[in-house]
Amino acid sequence: MDPAQHSPGGGLAGPVPGGEVRVLVADDEDDIRALVCLAVRKAGCQVVAAAPDGTAALEAARAELPDLAVLDVSMPGATGLEVCEALRSAPATAGTRILLLSAGASPDEVARGLAAGADAYLPKPFTVSGLVRQVRALAVREPVA
Amino acid sequence: MSLAVLDRRQDAGDPWIRRLTEPAGRPAAVHGPLLCTVLHTAAALLLLTGALPVVDRGLVLAGLAAASAATGVAWTARRSRSVVGSLAVPAAHLGAVALLHAGTGSATTLFLLVGPLWALATLPDRRGVLVAVLGTTAVLAAPALAGPPTADDLPGALLLGPLAVAVGTAAVHGSSRRLAAQSHRIAQLQREQAALLAQVQSRADELDTASRILAARAQTMTSVIDAVTEQSIIGTDRDGTIRVWNPGAEKMLGVPRPDVVRTRSILDFHLPEELAAAAEDRGCGTGLEALVHAARQHGSDVRDWTYVAADGSHRTVSVAITPRSDDRGVHAGWNFVGTDMTEARATERLKDQFVSLISHELRTPLSSILGYLELVMDDEDQPLTDEQRQYLSTVERNAQRLLRLVGDLLFTAQVESGRFTLQPADVDLAGVVRAAEETARVAAASAGVQIVVDVPEDGLVVAGDAVRLGQACDNLVSNAVKFTPAGGRIDLALRRGWRTPDGAVVDHRSQDAVPVALLSVADTGMGIPAGEQGQMFTRFFRTSNAQRNAVPGVGLGLTITKAITTAHGGTLDLVSAEGVGTTFTMALPVAG
Repeated sequence: MDPAQHSPGGGLAGPVPGGEVRVLVADDEDDIRALVCLAVRKAGCQVVAAAPDGTAALEAARAELPDLAVLDVSMPGATGLEVCEALRSAPATAGTRILLLSAGASPDEVARGLAAGADAYLPKPFTVSGLVRQVRALAVREPVA
Repeated sequence: MSLAVLDRRQDAGDPWIRRLTEPAGRPAAVHGPLLCTVLHTAAALLLLTGALPVVDRGLVLAGLAAASAATGVAWTARRSRSVVGSLAVPAAHLGAVALLHAGTGSATTLFLLVGPLWALATLPDRRGVLVAVLGTTAVLAAPALAGPPTADDLPGALLLGPLAVAVGTAAVHGSSRRLAAQSHRIAQLQREQAALLAQVQSRADELDTASRILAARAQTMTSVIDAVTEQSIIGTDRDGTIRVWNPGAEKMLGVPRPDVVRTRSILDFHLPEELAAAAEDRGCGTGLEALVHAARQHGSDVRDWTYVAADGSHRTVSVAITPRSDDRGVHAGWNFVGTDMTEARATERLKDQFVSLISHELRTPLSSILGYLELVMDDEDQPLTDEQRQYLSTVERNAQRLLRLVGDLLFTAQVESGRFTLQPADVDLAGVVRAAEETARVAAASAGVQIVVDVPEDGLVVAGDAVRLGQACDNLVSNAVKFTPAGGRIDLALRRGWRTPDGAVVDHRSQDAVPVALLSVADTGMGIPAGEQGQMFTRFFRTSNAQRNAVPGVGLGLTITKAITTAHGGTLDLVSAEGVGTTFTMALPVAG
């Protein structure tokens, strides 16, 4: 089945054009992680791993080599920023697109996130529709490497 | 002291000098009566004993009577300085001697001449000499006048006697006058000396008073500085060597005064790496220069520095640094007045951490609530009933309200801790005003309040943070909606204005005024009581009207709006009258 047929006019639901995008989700809050997974699926992507902390997120990323990682900044084990930097520094994961989610939305915090190598930064609380739009936007983008 | 000795010496005064300085007429007036009394008493005794012959009893009695009368007058008027009296009394005595000479016919009576002649010779008046000569002549001639001549040598005696008296009294008179002139001069010198001594004494008293005042002032200063035990007061030379070290410094840094004054530098109590970092930041020299650079530039400087105490512990101290001048106004060193802020800063950090933690912990569940609500409300497969939608909308509205409150608290904490930064860009305030109206439109409509927007067609651009300016404008409009009863009106206006150097905002351009954008929000609401208007920008302050009318809010909106305005270099003012309405005007600087 051609996934593009299910997303006429770039709607929120349905898979991303050009094949299913594999997504890693990491957030220490179970409810939020589940919500992010729902949004990712609404954006037409596949959740390949959902990690409850930074360490698990890094392991999953190395194992699954996802196209996109949606990472919470404030996590035990390793923070989203540290995971972000680790992914960027390893050749196998350097091209992974990264979306950071954080309760801290000050300009400094956004700047730190982008400096760590994130492609986009979404402050919490986010709207599901906003997250879906953001995931779709990153999903259709060509990988960096 | 030595001057008191001088003073006493002056008081002691030599009696001889004092006698010399008496008025010249006084010795005659005092000694005249006594001498004459003694002489005439002697003459009376000589007459009584028959040693002196009585030729004419009448004349002798008249002579004694005249002598007694003259002596009586002399005693009575001995204090008088009258020249006539001084002449008349000796002249009367001379008359008495003439009568006695005539009455006895004896030259022995001539010893009585000594008294009046002495008195006349020592008179300051030259007429005394004349009276003496005439009187002596009369005395010598008296026996001849009273009876037949008793001697052949009378003409010679009449010639030589007065001549001798004239020469003698003239000599005595001259000496007396010279003596009087000298004594007068001595008296004058003595007066001058007394005046000089008085002057010296007065100057010495002034010096004494001044030194007492200075000592008292120094004592006051020392006692004030010593009374400060919770703040460190450290004074140094220009090179940083410590000269003043109060008990507060002893307590804060654990080093007693004798161990530091003149021997140690202020730099011994600072962190070298902190001074090096400050030097790099300010582009100035290291060491003391880094410490006092800002105070040298601006006259004073207050900031946090780390002091290193004797036990090696670090204290965060808010230090006010000012230059110190000596009595000639020449720069002499530096003053460092420090307040230990170690605990306070730790508390502030803890509060910041707490607020960040709380805000994170509150945002996370709110994210879940709002996210899942959105999923339920937007689920096209299972549409909600109208009633369910209404309930969930209420949940969502309250979750949003809680979220705004968390945001406001976090923002207030950021402003207080100075961690509030702006993302400057060109912002069209017309767009900000329109957006604020759009945000408030639903709430205004449901409250029955009309919002009227009046912004320039071509917009009005300022340099600022669009998000924060939007937040500030939203706060003002949302307040206006909350405090305006149904049927009221809110005017959102944007226009150009000028701010004068004294801070007043005017509509017309004037000299030295800078252009500003004036964003005003005017309502026809309940107004703010005059007594509460000054507190409007204090955090958590709520007006009595707000509390009475149960208007929702926590009292952070205006605090935040004011902070945002101030951070943009602008001002926020309000004009309000109870029952009439309130106008908030934000003046933000614009370029050009």
